[in-house]
Amino acid sequence: MRWNSHTVMVAAGRVVVLLVILGGAELGIRSGALSQLFFSSPTQIYQVFVTQLAQGTLAEAAGITVLETMLGLVAGSLLGMAIGLVLPQLRVFSRVFEPFLMVLNGIPVIVIAPLFVLWLGLGIFSKIGISVYIVFFAMFIPVYTASIRLERDYVNALRVMGANQRQIFWKVILPSALPSVYTGLKIGSGLALIGAVIGEFVASRAGLGHMILYASGTLDTPTLYLGIIILALFAAALSFLVDALGPVLVRWRFADEK
Amino acid sequence: MLEFRHASFAFAGRRETVEVLRDVSFECRADEIVAVIGPSGCGKSTLLSLATGLRTPTSGEVLVEGRPVAGPSRALGMLFQHSTLLPWRSVQENVELGLEIRGERRAARRKRATALMRQYGLAGFERKFPHALSGGMQKRAALAQTLAMEPKILLLDEPFAALDAQTRLVIEDDVVKICRAGRRTMLLVTHDIAEAISMADRIVVLSKRPATVKEIFEIPFSRDARSVADVQAMPEFSAYFRRVWDTLDISVGAAAEAAA
Repeated sequence: MRWNSHTVMVAAGRVVVLLVILGGAELGIRSGALSQLFFSSPTQIYQVFVTQLAQGTLAEAAGITVLETMLGLVAGSLLGMAIGLVLPQLRVFSRVFEPFLMVLNGIPVIVIAPLFVLWLGLGIFSKIGISVYIVFFAMFIPVYTASIRLERDYVNALRVMGANQRQIFWKVILPSALPSVYTGLKIGSGLALIGAVIGEFVASRAGLGHMILYASGTLDTPTLYLGIIILALFAAALSFLVDALGPVLVRWRFADEK
Repeated sequence: MLEFRHASFAFAGRRETVEVLRDVSFECRADEIVAVIGPSGCGKSTLLSLATGLRTPTSGEVLVEGRPVAGPSRALGMLFQHSTLLPWRSVQENVELGLEIRGERRAARRKRATALMRQYGLAGFERKFPHALSGGMQKRAALAQTLAMEPKILLLDEPFAALDAQTRLVIEDDVVKICRAGRRTMLLVTHDIAEAISMADRIVVLSKRPATVKEIFEIPFSRDARSVADVQAMPEFSAYFRRVWDTLDISVGAAAEAAA
């Protein structure tokens, strides 16, 4: 990226927007124009942040949600990848299971969540379960579709070279699914967090979702905002992390065009 | 080297059995270039898949070095119509692919691939990905990949169809020279009469589906020519072109009849 007048203007514009929002909230609350029940000023939120940080409650809540999300993302992605890659190789199985998977995928996750709580309890396992469930489909569908549309010429070329089934899997089938794995990770990373928080909203004793829900119930507006901001920052960091995996997973798509 | 003996191939379609090849017999002798030409969709590519063992003839047999084909053979190397360079591998990794499959050591693979890439004008592109190469260079890379395995028999499935006319002449020339220099046998499937005459020692003309051998032409002058372009400039060239074209018999009337 070149550091020209255009990029400077964009960066400056972003800073201005942020300052207007923060300053507006601060002024609004101090002047009494905005109700403290519905809004909080940046300084109020910061105070809650400092207190909670000192008490260790914020780190605990965030740590639990981050753990649920990451485990859900990793386990759901691996499961989605494995089944998405293997199922198309087993023609009959894939045709048997396809409608079941499509129906399962269609069920809104919010109505499935209570089932996971029932099965796995109030702790982190039910949240991980919900996360795995939605991440699985985010990964499975693109990988499965890519595996079905596998370039037959590549497989034939390797066969003629004398490759066995194992070599064909590792050298053609898996790498040709990697762009879809990347897509799955991008979608799945957002869904993993949604799954964890939905679980916490349905029934929980800890986590950022629990903190937000509790703050809402006790009309503790600054804590409510703090929870939302921490979640947003985590979501942004996660998406940044997944984007950084692109050049590793699909390096040929990121290579120079010349 | 490579012989089709009364080879037939059919597959079960939705309603009826589709007969693709019927009693095809011809032979590619050692260090000979044979072109197979026929109307599009007549089963030329199927013929090659019988030789590589990807398909098995319904009746008759295909012999490679005197033995019936049973699966992929080390004696055969194939160049496909569309690029089969794997997009996620660098050019070098692609050239090494066949050797890697055979389990050759990294250092040995690298050495052979580097030498071949230098020979085919790919030096400096080792670490590029295939999509960064021109069509002609992709073909060279695919050729290097195939030749790295040192096959005695080269099978080519309309490999130059997607190239522009000039690049095509150059690559056709290269392939003929490589083949002659390495005393390799080559079976070239094409729909291009000029390509067939200018590259091959013999041309097998197939009929439309179910494909049978209509006629086999000897091209006595191509072996002595200096280049593919030279063959096309010879006075005999147009006479042969005419004869092959007449044998193919892809007239407008016949096409309309087939469509009706």
